[in-house]
Amino acid sequence: MLKEIFNLTLLQHTIRTATPIILAALGGLLTQHTGMLNIGMEGMILLGAFFGVLGSYFFGSSLMGVLLASLVGVIIGLIFAIFVVELKSDEFIVAIAINMFASGLTVFLLRSIFGVKGAFSSPDIVPLPRVNFSFLENVNFLDKIFNNHSIFVYISWILVALIYIYLYKTPQGIWLRASGEYPEALLTAGVSAKKMKYKSSIYCGVLCGFAGAHLSLGYLTLFSENMSANRGFIAVAAIIFGKANPIMTFIAALMFGFFDALGIRLQVVGVPSQFTQMIPYIATIVALFIVTNRQLQKHKKSKGERELA
Amino acid sequence: MAEKLIELKNISKQFPGVLANSNVNLTINKGEIHAIIGENGAGKTTLMNILYGLYEPTQGEIFIDGKKAVIKSPLDAIKQGIGMVHQHFMLLPSLSVAENVVLGSEPKKKKFFMDYDKAIEITKNLAQKYGFKVDPREKIEALSVGVQQRVEILKVLYRGADILILDEPTAVLTPQETDELFNVIRKLVSDMNKTVIIITHKLQEVLAISDRVSVMRQGKLIGTLPTQQADAKILTEMMVGKEVLFHDLHREKVSGEKVLEVKDIKAKDNRGLTVLNGVSFSLRAGEILGVAGVEGNGQSELVEVLTGLRNLEDGDYFINGKKITDVNPSNMRNLGISHVPEDRLTMGLSKEASLWENLLMGLQHKKPFVVKKIHLNKKKIFERTDNLIKEYDIRAIDRYMKVKKLSGGNMQKVVIAREFSFDSPILIIAQPTRGVDVGATEFIHNQIMRKRNEGAAILLVSAELDEIMRLSDRIITIYEGSITGEFKNKEVTKQTLGLYMTGKQNKLKGSEDN
Amino acid sequence: MREAMKKINLSYIISLALSIFVALIIGALIMLINGKSPFIGYSALFSGAFGSKYNLATTFAKTVPLVLTGLGTAISFRSGIFNIGGEGQLYLGAFAAAYIGITFTSLPFFIGIPLAIIFGALVGGLYAFLPGILKVKYKIDEVITTIMLNTVAVLFTSFLVNYPFATTQGKMNGTEIIAQSYHLRRLVKLSTLNTSIFFMSFIAIVIYYLMEKTSIGYDFKMVGQNRMFARYGGINDKKQMLIAMVISGALCGMAGVFEVLGVHYRFLQSISPGYAWDGMLASLMAKNNPVGVVLMAIFLGALKTGSVSMENATSIPSELVMVIQAIIVLFIAGEAGFKDKFVLLNIKRKSKKAGETNA
Repeated sequence: MLKEIFNLTLLQHTIRTATPIILAALGGLLTQHTGMLNIGMEGMILLGAFFGVLGSYFFGSSLMGVLLASLVGVIIGLIFAIFVVELKSDEFIVAIAINMFASGLTVFLLRSIFGVKGAFSSPDIVPLPRVNFSFLENVNFLDKIFNNHSIFVYISWILVALIYIYLYKTPQGIWLRASGEYPEALLTAGVSAKKMKYKSSIYCGVLCGFAGAHLSLGYLTLFSENMSANRGFIAVAAIIFGKANPIMTFIAALMFGFFDALGIRLQVVGVPSQFTQMIPYIATIVALFIVTNRQLQKHKKSKGERELA
Repeated sequence: MAEKLIELKNISKQFPGVLANSNVNLTINKGEIHAIIGENGAGKTTLMNILYGLYEPTQGEIFIDGKKAVIKSPLDAIKQGIGMVHQHFMLLPSLSVAENVVLGSEPKKKKFFMDYDKAIEITKNLAQKYGFKVDPREKIEALSVGVQQRVEILKVLYRGADILILDEPTAVLTPQETDELFNVIRKLVSDMNKTVIIITHKLQEVLAISDRVSVMRQGKLIGTLPTQQADAKILTEMMVGKEVLFHDLHREKVSGEKVLEVKDIKAKDNRGLTVLNGVSFSLRAGEILGVAGVEGNGQSELVEVLTGLRNLEDGDYFINGKKITDVNPSNMRNLGISHVPEDRLTMGLSKEASLWENLLMGLQHKKPFVVKKIHLNKKKIFERTDNLIKEYDIRAIDRYMKVKKLSGGNMQKVVIAREFSFDSPILIIAQPTRGVDVGATEFIHNQIMRKRNEGAAILLVSAELDEIMRLSDRIITIYEGSITGEFKNKEVTKQTLGLYMTGKQNKLKGSEDN
Repeated sequence: MREAMKKINLSYIISLALSIFVALIIGALIMLINGKSPFIGYSALFSGAFGSKYNLATTFAKTVPLVLTGLGTAISFRSGIFNIGGEGQLYLGAFAAAYIGITFTSLPFFIGIPLAIIFGALVGGLYAFLPGILKVKYKIDEVITTIMLNTVAVLFTSFLVNYPFATTQGKMNGTEIIAQSYHLRRLVKLSTLNTSIFFMSFIAIVIYYLMEKTSIGYDFKMVGQNRMFARYGGINDKKQMLIAMVISGALCGMAGVFEVLGVHYRFLQSISPGYAWDGMLASLMAKNNPVGVVLMAIFLGALKTGSVSMENATSIPSELVMVIQAIIVLFIAGEAGFKDKFVLLNIKRKSKKAGETNA
């Protein structure tokens, strides 16, 4: 039975299931750096998934699906930023409103546009292209794990690198981080911290749009109610676990994707999957505990050292 | 004839509920060191923040080199050649010196990337040019305040500023660092043709460094004069207005028992640094003991330790001769300590709560204000509330009014009314009249004196020497967490206290020897 | 009466009414875009919520979990600790009640029902204690931990009802039916309204009394408004936050208990369609005022109930109501910000006028 669970397909599925988490977490870590924790990613992904299907179905092009999904992401990101930055609203409440809005609106539109309940699927929905690297075909296990994935799998990996460089090697990235660490310092240096917050929120919207489009157009071509299925929250968990560092967050997202994939396979063979599904959430709490506990210890220690000095 | 560089015309700034600047006209000449002096809350920083584009004035115009300038953001100010070093440093602790210096206008390579090597080079060259010693690669969080300030100045110079605004630059510096800073400022003006505006509330500094001085009071510019024509007396009068020539307060002869005593107590600040370094004193019933000191020398922590809000790290604390082992706020209140905290908004009040709720704090579990263990007796509570409003002349619509809608003076009266109404044998009072108008100040002083005459033991901490000297029976001076001197009031001059407060009492002895 | 009037925050009530009004207008626009008449839609919604005895009963049946979770949210928010974990506490409380109901089947109702309620409240309270202690002792953000714990509770109960406690009668994703003596009586034919509304009313009065009339409520409020001030005044702020969190969790747990004892008679894998979120919405709309929470819970219950009738009458999907709710939340979140902007604009306009007259 173990063989049935732990095989190459599991790793292949890990990559599949981790991708939307990676994409959303990359967006969320940008807003995290500007000082806004965005719980609304859950709703943003859901909207992305719906509008991805909508665009693909009506225009007969997956690209249009992605564009529509990102456009909606931009709008929601903008709304989030306007409320949090301009009106100084509580970011959690705004995010909860976004999640509520997304789950209401997608079902509403699902029923009023497509006239179906639960899920919408059609052969007219064009899936996202798969990418084939012929050089991988020679090595069986690499081929199985890494080849022939949907395009966003590879885009998400490239984005990890790009966002890392952006954050740590460009002036814009420094400003973005500064806008969260000490916005007044950035402002007095002549750069608007507000603008950076807006930017990060819009980027986050676009990336969540990607995540949603990948979910509904990547492997399956359908939209179902609440298909984001807590991925937005797992992305938050990955950000916290990875301390908002793109590479660490990527690893955390992969790890959570692995447990997700494992859970699905366990379910197939009739083993309870709930416990593997819990892992990201519990891991996050444990991580938070370890991080803050270490800080407290460090504080105590440094206090002690000073006393000696 | 001096050349006009900046002209502020009719500047007003209205914040919700506060007129921070009112029709200010100010001229800064090219190549001068111009001091702006005034008490806390006089509107100095607001005015300079307007010049630096952080606030938009509600009214008024700015002219630079005779041309009308539109300054809507710090970026506009930077473009006009204005740079500002804020009282709270605007440095990112996790970034290096070089990254902070070039922040906002970083050198780039290949269009998109930060050129870190170049940033280091730029910082090195700048530091060399102005004779600063800093390591460009060091993280800000590892630097001392004095060095951080230099990084701030470099930051301003990197942007090519000709006009430097320094907001309370000496507030956090040691005397030596202050001297160094002044040398830098003089050099900037004489060798580099810069113009410097320095905001401060310290008279000696104004006299020591400035060419001209402008005095502000309650949002208004009272006047500008050449420093040569100014002395401490003239400036003080301009700063506080003549009406504060307080008459003497009636002081009854009370001789009481020793009620509070501390021996060699130590405490740490929030960063874990020792800020109280073995303080000992005692306090008798019926006396006011004034604690004089420059802010940040441990007085805030002393008050917090005595009231149980901060850990007592070491030393003994006695009340009525009994050693206190469990020092926490509720315990200290039960032992008869009332506390007027230095910052009414962060600690003394809940501004979202109503007047009656604010006045109730501390009595909510006490009879007759609570019956049957938890039921609040509103009738009794309201009775007391209304009496206190009357007795302490709190100007409010009714007892349901939210405290945030009161003026600063009335807010302070709420705190005083509550704490004084407990009839505690010990009162710990910090900065009782900060940001309070003259009328309310007089009222509060009278109340404090009344309490003393009734036999309360009062510890008074204030940054205002005049206040200390007016109210205290005895005065202790505190410097860097230690008591440097103890005096009977009326037997000591302001100047002497000043020296003890700055740890320069030896200088005094030296001059006496001569 | 006059005293009471003075305490009411009139300007906020106007803002709230305006928010609801604008959200309803947006809802009307969506109906129009869908080619439906908003008049027909909203009147169907209204009569669906209040039009008949059955409808009214259904509306009030919906308010039971909303009031309890709403008050739970209110008491924690007012104390400055943000329990977003109501949904998880509800699930565990519900399961706890079901566990009692299927285990101690021979208990008489007057022992069994209180036992189930107390056990459910205890489990909910304990589940809130965990994030509470993490917050006050280790300064770990309770919003994140409670959100994470929501999913953990849902997954855990899902495991329980699919494996150790799965019913043997068909695949229900639920437990066995609880013993007859635990069933709360239905009050109106066909509707699920049951005697839990009396329990709920009693609990609501107790919570109202606690929050508004006692020294404990005073301490909660002061801690929530200004922790430093509370500590300065001798209140043990950490203890108060922890107590508030546990009460909050207990209330949410009880919301789950009544879903089991009064509505489903068993625990179901998805027993709540997000009651705790709607309860939180009620609390947000009422600014944590207990009386307001009850009123808002009735309002939201009516929206939910009425939306089904609206769907039947006009074929407008009932989820429109969720969209309207989300817009209300958004406006409430921005309310203070809108007001500030408005004040600033006013200052500008006034000073401009003053400037002109000066010139």
